Amino acid sequence: MKRLFIVLALVLMLGVVSLPALAQDAPTGTWLGTWPYAAPGTHNLNSFAAGGLNDNLGLVYRPFVELTPAYYLWATQEYVPMLAESWGFVDDNAAYEYTIAEGAMWSDGSPVTSQDVVDTFDIGRILGWTQWTYLTSVEAVDERTVRFNFTEGGASLNAQRQLLKEYVVASANYGELAAQAREVVASGATNEDEAWTAVATAIEEFRPETLIASGPYTYALDAVGESFFTLSWQPNSLFSGSVRFGELKIWGGETEVTTPLVLSGELAHSTNVYPPATMQSFVDAGIRVVATPRGYGPALLFNFTVAPFDNVLVRQAMAHAINREQSALLTNGLGATGTVYMSGILDSIAPTLLSQETLDTLNRYEYNLEGAAALMEQAGYSLNGDGKWADADGNTISVEYTFPADFADFSAAARDATAQLNEFGFDITERALPWQEAAAAIRAGDFQLSVWSWGAGSPFAFQNFNNPMRRWTVALAEDQPGLQLDIEALDVNGETVDLNALILNVSGGLDTAAQQERADEIAQILNEGMYYIPLNEMLSIEPVNEASIGGAPADGDPIYQNPSNDHFIIYLILNGTLFPAGM
Amino acid sequence: MTAIPAPPALPVTKTDAATPPAWRQGLRRITRSYLFKVLISGLITIWAATTLTFFMIRQMPGNPVEIRMDELMTRQGMTEEEARRASATLFNFDPDRPLLLQYADFLSDLVRGDLGDSITRGGVSVSSIILRYLPWTLFCVGLALLVSFTLGIILGLAMGYWRGSWFDNLLTAFASIISGIPDYIIALLIIIIFGVQLQWFQVGAVRGGVDPTITPAFSVEYLLSILQYATLPILVYVLSTIGTWILAMKSSTISTLGEDYIAVAKARGLSERRVLTGYIGRNAMLPLVTRLAISVGFIVGGTVIIEEMFQYPGLGRNLFIAISGRDYTTMQGMFLVITAMVVLSNILADLAIGWLDPRVRMGTEDSSQ
Repeated sequence: MKRLFIVLALVLMLGVVSLPALAQDAPTGTWLGTWPYAAPGTHNLNSFAAGGLNDNLGLVYRPFVELTPAYYLWATQEYVPMLAESWGFVDDNAAYEYTIAEGAMWSDGSPVTSQDVVDTFDIGRILGWTQWTYLTSVEAVDERTVRFNFTEGGASLNAQRQLLKEYVVASANYGELAAQAREVVASGATNEDEAWTAVATAIEEFRPETLIASGPYTYALDAVGESFFTLSWQPNSLFSGSVRFGELKIWGGETEVTTPLVLSGELAHSTNVYPPATMQSFVDAGIRVVATPRGYGPALLFNFTVAPFDNVLVRQAMAHAINREQSALLTNGLGATGTVYMSGILDSIAPTLLSQETLDTLNRYEYNLEGAAALMEQAGYSLNGDGKWADADGNTISVEYTFPADFADFSAAARDATAQLNEFGFDITERALPWQEAAAAIRAGDFQLSVWSWGAGSPFAFQNFNNPMRRWTVALAEDQPGLQLDIEALDVNGETVDLNALILNVSGGLDTAAQQERADEIAQILNEGMYYIPLNEMLSIEPVNEASIGGAPADGDPIYQNPSNDHFIIYLILNGTLFPAGM
Repeated sequence: MTAIPAPPALPVTKTDAATPPAWRQGLRRITRSYLFKVLISGLITIWAATTLTFFMIRQMPGNPVEIRMDELMTRQGMTEEEARRASATLFNFDPDRPLLLQYADFLSDLVRGDLGDSITRGGVSVSSIILRYLPWTLFCVGLALLVSFTLGIILGLAMGYWRGSWFDNLLTAFASIISGIPDYIIALLIIIIFGVQLQWFQVGAVRGGVDPTITPAFSVEYLLSILQYATLPILVYVLSTIGTWILAMKSSTISTLGEDYIAVAKARGLSERRVLTGYIGRNAMLPLVTRLAISVGFIVGGTVIIEEMFQYPGLGRNLFIAISGRDYTTMQGMFLVITAMVVLSNILADLAIGWLDPRVRMGTEDSSQ
């Protein structure tokens, strides 16, 4: 009897030991995605360096190897757990804490601890991470709980998002560098000091031999080829049991390189930006496309030292003279919508960030050529014999509109705006530049009209208002004039307003009602001043090849409200919704 | 007969004592030699082109930090300030350092054979990038150029010799059309028609330089894989350049046919084959040798788009990446290679023409006497 008991006990123990292994059997099937990663020889596994994980995996694929604490669902405006199991503000909002999920492990079999988080942020401090503009310290409360101490008034929902979206790296790889970072900070050095720079350089030049992953996939440098690299499933992650792909094969290259791969069915999904005609060819080939917010749209930017763009009446007239629905269609086919509210916040989230009262009172600048003409006349312009608007001295509005030739969407938006405004009576000449030069021209103030993005893939008003109002003005280096608009002393209806301060403050604190009130004020200023014309809001039209993958939710599913910054495939792959076709 | 007295012995003069030693005479011979002059001229050309390139690429709008910032803002959703903070620590590059000091650093490193580190790919030396990727480009484009030149010469010679034939008319039309189509269009058409539409090959299976599942080794399997992956890039290069060789050779052949020595050769009763290859072909291809030399020089720079389309691991694709990211050090290194190759190939072209045309050799000898 005793022997039988021992045998039974051994069998039971064997069963218990082997159960997790059985549950962790490697899934089969391959996900076929794309990202423009660094080629072998320049590719490295450093989470902080150029040519490292950030470049090679981007926002879409990095969470599969390095988990963030949580993932944000835009439809319900809530966070769902990834690496952390709980989180929140503590001590009367003087600090923020999150607790790492029980059982969270690295691919080397060691547990993920609060020290990993502390080390991550101590390295980030040397590298100038934004979080350190409102944090004083990061400390381990216990084995799994980490505490972020705020500066006075530093607590905000924006801060919460940045803490919960930050990838955590393994101390096994970075612990030594983190210790050096702490030592430098403790010595009282600043980022101007040599000691600080030396640690930053050491972090940058560190080349881990192995990638220690908290996500369900990992890879080694010998898995990186010239045309693709492969992330392989690993058994120790919190999500190893739920994912249903054995490997993620990532093809390199940009749009022109990935287009044939999509058409030949060799890609399951792509985040590249394809022209409308190409998207139509995908549909014709039987490939499904899904639409998600891209988190920005093209805006017409003014150089405020170029007459008559310093005149608000002219800017308002231009807003009325451009048919924004047409602009949207030409910019990105059905993957864009003409801007409605003209509030400085993307239409897709304006109703959650602005009050209904404000939305109702904003001037929507309907397409109205007669109204536009009246504004031009009010500004002192009249149509000359050639049908062009001219001032009292006979000067027409003869300017150049520069645009990035290699961005098909922005090019189309700029060229359409040029055509519409010329039809209205302007004399605009198009000037195509490589995108690097177009951006440099805006920074240098070396343009008359230009096109760049407005809005942001962020649920906060700050990031939306920031682009382009702060981005191309006060956020530039001192010697870069940009739009040449003094937003720190803006003349609004005869009063001087510090718009920069208003924007910086708009998403501060935890009081959402107060945030909305501040956002309302800025939206009204931007709407009235028309400091840029938000031409349209773009969608990301992404091919999802159902011959290759199954389980993609139907169109209209709330997950598709997530913009590219919180990409839907992260959620759908990790929770096992997506699977190889034929399973 | 009157005996002629022997001339008095000449005194030893200081002039004889000052006769330069053998080493100095040797040195003088070297410095006055054609090869030495060509080499010095080549080095000066390389220095001048490199200096010009150094300053020109820094006049391009944007710099590595700003371009990195734009990428971070677009891909990561960062603000300008966040992107600046993130970029500042990533690159070992100070855009505010005076240009002349940067040039002095560059020259001082260059004379020590150090091309520096890539600005945008931290910790990676430019020479390692060049050494890693140059052989792929030399193999792929070198082979393609050889095929294109050889076929072009043969076909152009035949078309010129039998001008007006159906063969000439057909190939003239083909060459005229194909030489007008840019290489990236040819590449796209091949991929879309034969890969996507007809599915003769898997689009993904022809990308890269070699099958990543084969262990690198000097084996038949590995070499065949390299050849297989290079086939489409070579085909595109050949198609996009062969028209020019055909038409140039045809034109040169026609003008050679009118020369007196061709009539003499025919009158001497030499066989048609001998006249065609030994007299017409050899003389007609002389002008094309210089052109070939220039093409060899531009092997690296001339394949940027083809390499990008096929994700071929060559230097052209890396040059494209370097230019896009304003990676000044990598661009400098690659332009130096291109310049050196152009200069070297021109020297070789001079020597080759001399070998092909005895008149050039004689001319050189005459002038040296």
